[in-house]
Amino acid sequence: MTAKPKTIWDRLEDIPREILYGLLLVCIIVPMLFPIGFPVPISVEVKRWYDTIEALPAGSVVMVDFGYSGGGEPELAPFAVATYAQLFRKADIKVVTMSTSNEGPLLWEKAMTELNIARFGKEYGKDYIHIGYIAGVETAMAAVGKSISATTTTDYKGTPLSKYSIMQGVDSAEDFALLIVYTTGGDQSEGWVRQWYTSYKTPYLSCVLAMMVPTMLPYQKAGQIVSVVSGAQAGQIEILVKAPGRGVKSADVITVTHLLCIALVVVGNIAYFGKKFSGGKS
Amino acid sequence: MELASVVQIWLAALFTIWIYSIAFRDNPFFKFAEHTFVGAAAGHSLVYGVDNILRYGWAPLTAGNMLYAVVFVLGILMYMRFHKTYFWVSRVPISVIVGIGIGLTLRSTVTSEFIAQIVSTAQMKVLGLGAWEGFSNLLFIIITLTTVYFFIFTFPKAQGGRLSLISTIARYGMMAAFGYSFANTVLSRFNMIFGRIDFLMNTWLVLPYAMLALPVVLILVIYAMIPTEKRPWPKPKN
Repeated sequence: MTAKPKTIWDRLEDIPREILYGLLLVCIIVPMLFPIGFPVPISVEVKRWYDTIEALPAGSVVMVDFGYSGGGEPELAPFAVATYAQLFRKADIKVVTMSTSNEGPLLWEKAMTELNIARFGKEYGKDYIHIGYIAGVETAMAAVGKSISATTTTDYKGTPLSKYSIMQGVDSAEDFALLIVYTTGGDQSEGWVRQWYTSYKTPYLSCVLAMMVPTMLPYQKAGQIVSVVSGAQAGQIEILVKAPGRGVKSADVITVTHLLCIALVVVGNIAYFGKKFSGGKS
Repeated sequence: MELASVVQIWLAALFTIWIYSIAFRDNPFFKFAEHTFVGAAAGHSLVYGVDNILRYGWAPLTAGNMLYAVVFVLGILMYMRFHKTYFWVSRVPISVIVGIGIGLTLRSTVTSEFIAQIVSTAQMKVLGLGAWEGFSNLLFIIITLTTVYFFIFTFPKAQGGRLSLISTIARYGMMAAFGYSFANTVLSRFNMIFGRIDFLMNTWLVLPYAMLALPVVLILVIYAMIPTEKRPWPKPKN
């Protein structure tokens, strides 16, 4: 018995994944080699993020949770780097960073190298610090909110915190004017609402993976988070901060790959209805 | 550039290509990269585990805070699960962990995830706004109420007859939410691929010899994708 020959609709419905991934690769590489320059409109959320940081008064201390894992680095790092650039451009702002992910300290060092922190004239231990990975996720958030010195005595390199001037007078959530979180974990992004916003009313900016945005939006709508953004919006903050980087570059690629996605959805639907109307089983 | 950085970039580039090669076909390079990643991740977690014990347990204990001895005792009791007779003792530290976790979460969950969300939805305005914002808010309220109804009133009478319209609206609302979520997931994934290809093109390929190495790496990966019996060389042993 011979197999029924494949129709054009069958072939369209069953495009080999090698071809699909090949097309995707082309759609990523071509706009990188020949930039199209698609506009990057600024969303309300990113503008609110930028304005919140701009409105920080001199002398403010900001807590940052550098809590993403290696897998989320390509998406979240550009946003984090641009935000650090904005914070470091402001005079007399102190930034205390911690990590709720054990890969955080390594990725933070990578981000600081990308930022080229020397150009801002900021000094480690005086203007910024990383107090290390603190295990326990929500327990860690609660503990740090209550007392940093009771939670950890050293920074991420193992040097006692008492040696750093930045930590003088900074111990609990009440000493921070703003909380900024970059995370790939739902437990982290929601945990900060529970342990910091609800308990101490610390204004909270949350940068998460695009796929996490829908679950975080209700908190923003309820006023518990000032702004929820995805790392995919990095191009917008880079434009506002006037430090174009990976985020702006990704705009063309993201647009072209999504056009490919839409085209493939259309092809799939044409194949489905074509097969149906030509008498074949769909 | 320092030699250590160059080696790191080369390794990161090779592993990126090997890991992404699975998108086309399974091959030994992918398997090697995958196993190396699992090993490295396990090693990294182990080191951090030991570091955590030293930083948050041993350091305060040796500084004279004897209360931390309780933490060590509880930690050691966890290993009782490997004892055939006294395995149940390990439930004690687990119940302490669960209890602390629940206690910490509960103190604010009711406020942050229940009351605040209800208040926010109840305060939503429909009139006196722009047409689009008013419509969006109305849609939000309708879908919230119908979805709550869908999950709470699950008995057949509440879901049948004319009342089935409520469930239908809830289902369409949830489908739209899932679609939004899926679209965001696709966006996330594309961003991640862009990040790695940007690294390959602008960090690795600008290094000396990387341009020469790229075709060699790709040829080897493609060759490794060919099933063993179809490879011209080496011939499989019978």
